[in-house]
Amino acid sequence: MLSYILRRIVATLPVMAIVALFVFSLLYIAPGDPAVVIAGDQASPEDVERIRQSLGLDRPFLVQFGSWVWRILHGDLGTSIFTNLPVSAMIGQRLGPTLSLMIVTLLLTIVVAVPLGVVAAWKAGSLIDRVIMGFAVFGFSLPVFVVGYMLAYVFALELEWLPVQGYTPLTQGLWPWLENLILPAIALGCVYIALVARITRAAMLEVLQQDYIRTAKAKGLGQGGILFIHALKNAAVPIVTVIGIGIALLIGGAVVTESVFAIPGLGRLTIDAILRRDYPVIQGIVLLFSFVYVLVNLMIDVTYTLVDPRIRY
Amino acid sequence: MSEELLRIEDLQVSFSTRRGMVEAVRGVTLSVGKGEMLGLVGESGSGKSVTGFATTRLLDAAGRVTGGRILFRGQDVTKLRGDDLRHLQGAAMSMIFQNPRAALNPIRAIGLQIADAILTHKRISKDAARAEALDLLRAVQIRDPEARMNAYPHELSGGMCQRVMIAIAISCNPALLIADEPTTGLDVTTQKVVMDLLADIAAARGMATILITHDLGLAARYCRRIAVMERGRIVEEASPRTLFSTPQHAYTRRLVAASPTATSRIEDLVTEEERERYATVVSKPRQEPAHGTPPLLEVRKLAKRFDQGSAAVADFSMTMAGGESVGLVGESGSGKSTTSRMICRLIDPSEGDIVFDGQSIGHVASRDFHRSRFRKDIQMVFQDPNESLNPRYTAFDCIAHPLMRLDGMCVGDALRKRVEECAERVGLPLDLLPRFPHQLSGGQKARVGIARAIACRPRLLVLDEPTAALDVSVQAVVLQLLDRLRRENDIALLFVSHDLNVVRMLCDRTIVLRNGGIVEQGESRALFDNPKTDYTRKLVEAIPHIETGAALAAAL
Repeated sequence: MLSYILRRIVATLPVMAIVALFVFSLLYIAPGDPAVVIAGDQASPEDVERIRQSLGLDRPFLVQFGSWVWRILHGDLGTSIFTNLPVSAMIGQRLGPTLSLMIVTLLLTIVVAVPLGVVAAWKAGSLIDRVIMGFAVFGFSLPVFVVGYMLAYVFALELEWLPVQGYTPLTQGLWPWLENLILPAIALGCVYIALVARITRAAMLEVLQQDYIRTAKAKGLGQGGILFIHALKNAAVPIVTVIGIGIALLIGGAVVTESVFAIPGLGRLTIDAILRRDYPVIQGIVLLFSFVYVLVNLMIDVTYTLVDPRIRY
Repeated sequence: MSEELLRIEDLQVSFSTRRGMVEAVRGVTLSVGKGEMLGLVGESGSGKSVTGFATTRLLDAAGRVTGGRILFRGQDVTKLRGDDLRHLQGAAMSMIFQNPRAALNPIRAIGLQIADAILTHKRISKDAARAEALDLLRAVQIRDPEARMNAYPHELSGGMCQRVMIAIAISCNPALLIADEPTTGLDVTTQKVVMDLLADIAAARGMATILITHDLGLAARYCRRIAVMERGRIVEEASPRTLFSTPQHAYTRRLVAASPTATSRIEDLVTEEERERYATVVSKPRQEPAHGTPPLLEVRKLAKRFDQGSAAVADFSMTMAGGESVGLVGESGSGKSTTSRMICRLIDPSEGDIVFDGQSIGHVASRDFHRSRFRKDIQMVFQDPNESLNPRYTAFDCIAHPLMRLDGMCVGDALRKRVEECAERVGLPLDLLPRFPHQLSGGQKARVGIARAIACRPRLLVLDEPTAALDVSVQAVVLQLLDRLRRENDIALLFVSHDLNVVRMLCDRTIVLRNGGIVEQGESRALFDNPKTDYTRKLVEAIPHIETGAALAAAL
């Protein structure tokens, strides 16, 4: 098992190298001279030249790439062109809100979507099933920002139950922290809940047809025992997979959600960096997200072994 | 009969399907006494399993009891709900299923699965339940039960899994046990061990048992009373002796005739009225190959190792003449399927050589063999006709495909004619050709599989358990078809099977395999009548024969 995890981590190295190469090339894929692009419309030729030299853009591509990678390996993600702050420090500041939002959304999704899917599968074909699946289609079809503004309007502006926007760190108490995250988490989780509920239902339906479920019934086990002890764990592999894939969805959705609810997280940082053409920041964020995604995939594979004793690495 | 335990009165069960309601059971009446073992015999679709599932209330959602009563200890089972039902299921009445491996939860340790059943019905601690589960594992004679408690089903053999199922079923000392095809898919030797165990346990604990099976011989061996079902009705109910000596109903007569016995010949497998047509074919003498003709197939010291492990097959040599039929028998894991696949060139041997028609084909890589000119000479019929036909191909496509690939035929009248000719040879009605596999019966699918295999006029046909998934009456027809093809077209048959009765009838010679090596070989009849090794004797004795006449009278 340990050797498997080690091997997997080693195997991610080429993936990360390709990602790094792509991220680094962003600057060159964008049309025009990077230095001109970075300097902006009002810059004089001297400014452009200064930027070119400070970024080392006059050196050959591979040399630039090499020294960039070297710096990253030493924990230096570069310096923001706009704020002149180290990129790693900027990301560090914004990590908390985004991580909070993602964790709350993830928990909300699992707590809501999995039972919904189980019930829908149990009552397959019934009215309950159709209502749940109807909601799933609904949740799937609504864009995050529409749900977000609707929730903010109803629950924050009209009913005044929850704050409209902003973020409070966890250090200032659990409820103030959670209060700010409930609406964004629901908005962001909608698609995700719909997806996981559907997959749970499909996986459960498949499992409920298996012979061993009939055996469980023949033993006289109660409905709850059959659904949650015998069926759900057998259906877990596809569900875990989708939850993992969904984390990528969350990363994309977080960018929009953070804008709607004015959460000072990585999503906002990403948008700001793109608007300002702050390439070092963009590169740092994309690299981080890729790394997280690779890590999540590894975690999913490890989770499989916990769920299913037949899977051995 | 002793005191009555279960009484089924005029039971009717229907299933709602896309094509409307289908009546699966239409008026079954039977009763089971305390401690009695009743055989419920019938072919697929006869409603025997549905009757069992209706009794234990495990019918699919689509199935519904539409009439009749099932009285268990005087209480109508069909009307039970909620907790009353759960007190019945697993406690007073339990069930063992076909395919034990699928019937156990793959990701739950077997000890827990047994304890589940105990904890559902008894108010005892988890530790006490675990201790009981361990005792049950001992009772079903599982070796090293302490270690097996934490094993998962995939770590156990099929026979072991069925023992675990029995342990679960008897865990709460039920009064009635319904065993639905408990040993179908197990080796004959394992079948005997499991059935003996089941019968012993039932007798020791005074459990009544309903043995649902398609195998008349099996029912005859273990049951004092047998009910025969056909199309949702019980057509006859009698003791095994009466059933075999003087079957009353036409269907029972056909079933008895189709069940192979220790002495039956292929031509015996149909009732006397149907026998004549076949007799003309059999009576024609086979032309012996001229002396000195080289063998069609020669296998020399074949061996196969998977992943550097121990050899699945080692030092296997044999020869076959054209038009000869050779049986390859052994328990699962004996290497018979691996050997047949190597000869078919579907997998590569690790050592040794295969010579076909004087040419070495053992060294042609299996992935390139489809380009060899011998591909059309060696064809295969696979085990399960349901699984081995492409569900998106019509019967016509199935038969035409090898003709197009191997004989270079193109779509057109010539191809249509060849396909129809093949269908006729295997007795497949031409109007079935446009159908897809799911629209065909098991026997029809088997015919499509055989038609596909003989389409390119092969000289060697390798058959891997071709009748294992078929009903006995269909099996009888398929066996006759194969025998006729061999006699008429001089096709050599390599017949892989665990069913010794079938091999004995169909094959001139038999090779017995065990752990990848040849144990014994020789002329079929002699080999089965006088086995030279203990292993072969064990195999032969494990077959549940229908004991006719005197033998049965002596036994009772």
